[in-house]
Amino acid sequence: MRRYGPRVFRFASRYLKQRELVEEAAQEVFLKAFTELDKYEGRGSLEGWLTRITTNTCLNMLRSSRRRPELTVSDLTEDENTWLESKMLDTANERHQSNERSLVAADLAVRVLDTLSADDRLVLTLIDGEEATVSEVVELTGWSQSKVKVRAFRARRRMRQAVDKLLAGKDETQ
Amino acid sequence: MKSNHIISLLEDRPLGRLSESELATVKAHVAQCAGCLRAYRAAEVSTLLLKEHAAREFEPSHFFATRVLARVREQQAAKEGWAFARLWRATGALVSSMAASVAVLAVLTLVIPSESGTQQAAGSVAGLYSVEEVLAQESFQESELTDAQVFNALYGSPGDSEDTDGISR
Repeated sequence: MRRYGPRVFRFASRYLKQRELVEEAAQEVFLKAFTELDKYEGRGSLEGWLTRITTNTCLNMLRSSRRRPELTVSDLTEDENTWLESKMLDTANERHQSNERSLVAADLAVRVLDTLSADDRLVLTLIDGEEATVSEVVELTGWSQSKVKVRAFRARRRMRQAVDKLLAGKDETQ
Repeated sequence: MKSNHIISLLEDRPLGRLSESELATVKAHVAQCAGCLRAYRAAEVSTLLLKEHAAREFEPSHFFATRVLARVREQQAAKEGWAFARLWRATGALVSSMAASVAVLAVLTLVIPSESGTQQAAGSVAGLYSVEEVLAQESFQESELTDAQVFNALYGSPGDSEDTDGISR
C-alpha cells in the first residue's frame, strides 16, 4: 500500500475532485485489491491492475453521484466569473496562471463537468485533460475503441456547449 | 467550406492534437465565421478547464493506510462471520437433528425415571388403602393374636365353659 497508495490516490484525483471522495475511492480500491487478489492472474503489471480497479471504482462513484442539470452564469462565483472574463479577453496569452487562478479554473471545470454524464466526464478527463490515447482508455475501461471515440466526440460537444452557454451569458451581462 | 466544418473538427480531437495545417484552417475559417469563432473560443476555454482539472491532485493523508487496514480487518471479520453462517446453513439440519436426539435422550434418561419413581411412591401410599393391603394388614393383625385370644377362640372363655358345664351338668 505504501508503494501503490500515492499512485492510486493520484489516479483517483483525476476523476474525483474532492479530497474526501478521492480518499473514499482509494480505500475502495485497496479493499477490492485485498479481497480479489486471487483474481489477479499476473498477466499484466500489478500497477495496471490497480489502475483498472481505480478507474472502475471512480466511474461507479461518478455514476452514483447526482448530476447537475445545467450551469448558468448566475451559478458562478465571483472568482469564476473573473476567470471566465479573462479568458474571453484573451485565451491564448493566458497559459501561465497563478496557483490561485488555477484552483478557480479547476473548481469551474468540476462544475461544468458535473453537468455531464459519468462516462463523458471520464473520457474527457482522460483524453482531453490527461492526454491519454484512445487505446489507453480502451485498456482502462474495457470499452471498445469505437465506443471511446464516439463517447469522446459527444462529450467534447457537450462540454463545449456548456462553456459556450456560460460565455454567451457573460456576453449578455457585459 | 461548410459552416459546421470546423466544429466537427473541434469535436473530433482535442485542440492540442490538431496538426499545424488543421489549426491554420480553423483560424482562417473563424476569421470569417462568427458562429465558428464562438465555438472555437468555447473549445479553447474547455481545453483550459480540462487541463486545470487534470493538474489538481491530492496526496494520501497520514492515516490513509491505517484506515484501509482497519476496513480490511472489518471485512475479514465480516467474512468469517459469513463463513460460519454458511457452514451453519450447510450443516444446520444435521446439527439440529442431533441436538433434538440428545434432548430426547436427556428427557428419557433424567425426567422419565424420576416420574416412574414418583409413581411408585404414590402407588405405595395408595397401596395402604387398597383392598389387598387392608386384607393383608388384617391377616397380619390376626397373626398377631395373643395366645389367650386363640385359646378363647378355640375353647371359649372360662365363663362360657362354666355355663356350658352348668347346663350340661
